[in-house]
Amino acid sequence: MISTSSIKKHRLKIVTVILYLFTLVVNSEIFFTAIKTTAGYLKEMFQILPAVFIISGLITVWVPKEVIIKNFGKESGLKGKLISVFIGSISAGPIYAAFPVAFSLLGKGASISNIVIIISSWAVVKVPMMIVESKFIGFQFMIIRGILTVPAIIFIGYMVEKLIDKQEIIKDNGKEAKESNLVIKVENRLPQYNCGGCGYDSCRKFAEAIVKGETKLEKCSISSEELRKKITNILNNNRQIELTN
Amino acid sequence: MTTIILILIAVISLLWSFIKDKAKTKKTLKISTKLFKNTFSEVFFIMALVALFLAWIPQSVIKTLLGSSNEIFSILLGAAIGTITIIPAFVAFPLAGSLLKSGSNLVAIAAFLTTLTMVGFATMPIEIKYFGKKFTLIRNGISIIAAILIAFGMGVIL
Repeated sequence: MISTSSIKKHRLKIVTVILYLFTLVVNSEIFFTAIKTTAGYLKEMFQILPAVFIISGLITVWVPKEVIIKNFGKESGLKGKLISVFIGSISAGPIYAAFPVAFSLLGKGASISNIVIIISSWAVVKVPMMIVESKFIGFQFMIIRGILTVPAIIFIGYMVEKLIDKQEIIKDNGKEAKESNLVIKVENRLPQYNCGGCGYDSCRKFAEAIVKGETKLEKCSISSEELRKKITNILNNNRQIELTN
Repeated sequence: MTTIILILIAVISLLWSFIKDKAKTKKTLKISTKLFKNTFSEVFFIMALVALFLAWIPQSVIKTLLGSSNEIFSILLGAAIGTITIIPAFVAFPLAGSLLKSGSNLVAIAAFLTTLTMVGFATMPIEIKYFGKKFTLIRNGISIIAAILIAFGMGVIL
């Protein structure tokens, strides 16, 4: 899993570099236009992505699950859908910036339809974009497209939720993601002193080894009995989930 | 403008978090940097490919394609071009505006603009990374259909 995904990652890089070199040889003018556009995209990424990732991190750490479930969960109804449209439309940045935020909301109990609504309205319902649209194409065109788009987005959310199970997304995300989730859970319970007493460089590495079954919890000499019990429970629970799936 | 507000919100909430609880803030930053590491290079190379694509295919090509006299064909083509390309709004709207003035099909332009933003063929690898293949294909598939319906709706109203 890890090796194939890293090959895939490099494949994208290799393909990009080869295509750019090819363009440079064939037509340097196109090459420099592309570089210029890429620089523009890069600037946008650096302006938007750090902020988006910090907000995603804050949601994950601070916002209680109950709050997300109440406002974005399955039972949140029309109000939840409208909040989702609102959140998507006031957010800055292209569609790829919506994924991490939507992902952390999903992990906290938001429903699939609301996630889809956030992603779609993040991409389409944008005030600055509407201003540009009405300037170049016309106010009537912009307003009618907007009025038709909002219900369409809610409909898309409804359909996607009908067609896919939340459990499937988590499963589809691969064993790798699940394992790293488990590693994080275990790591969070460890003392975090990175003392190295267990023979690993850090608590993180120790947690990875625990999940893989390469070492024993008792090696962590500074952890309490109670703590080890808690971690054992986490590991057992995970095994049960895997079995029932 | 919205970018500045977004950055301000992030900075202020992070400061608030830091004052309230240092350990939680450390955890937040750990998660954020991990997200950044996981996503950044992929997004960067995809955007570089999009830039290269745009440099190779001049606007005039899109113009001729969307200006086709066959209505249904130009609508489907509009949706298809919007799906496979990512064109920044400040390029797409002036382009669409000049197309309409030169007599292009309004429904085709609407389909083009809606799929352009809502459906991301180029960003699909990133979406798959977060939500898996099935979700990504279903969401994008239904969005294409919805975009075409929106376009037809606009044709009826306007």
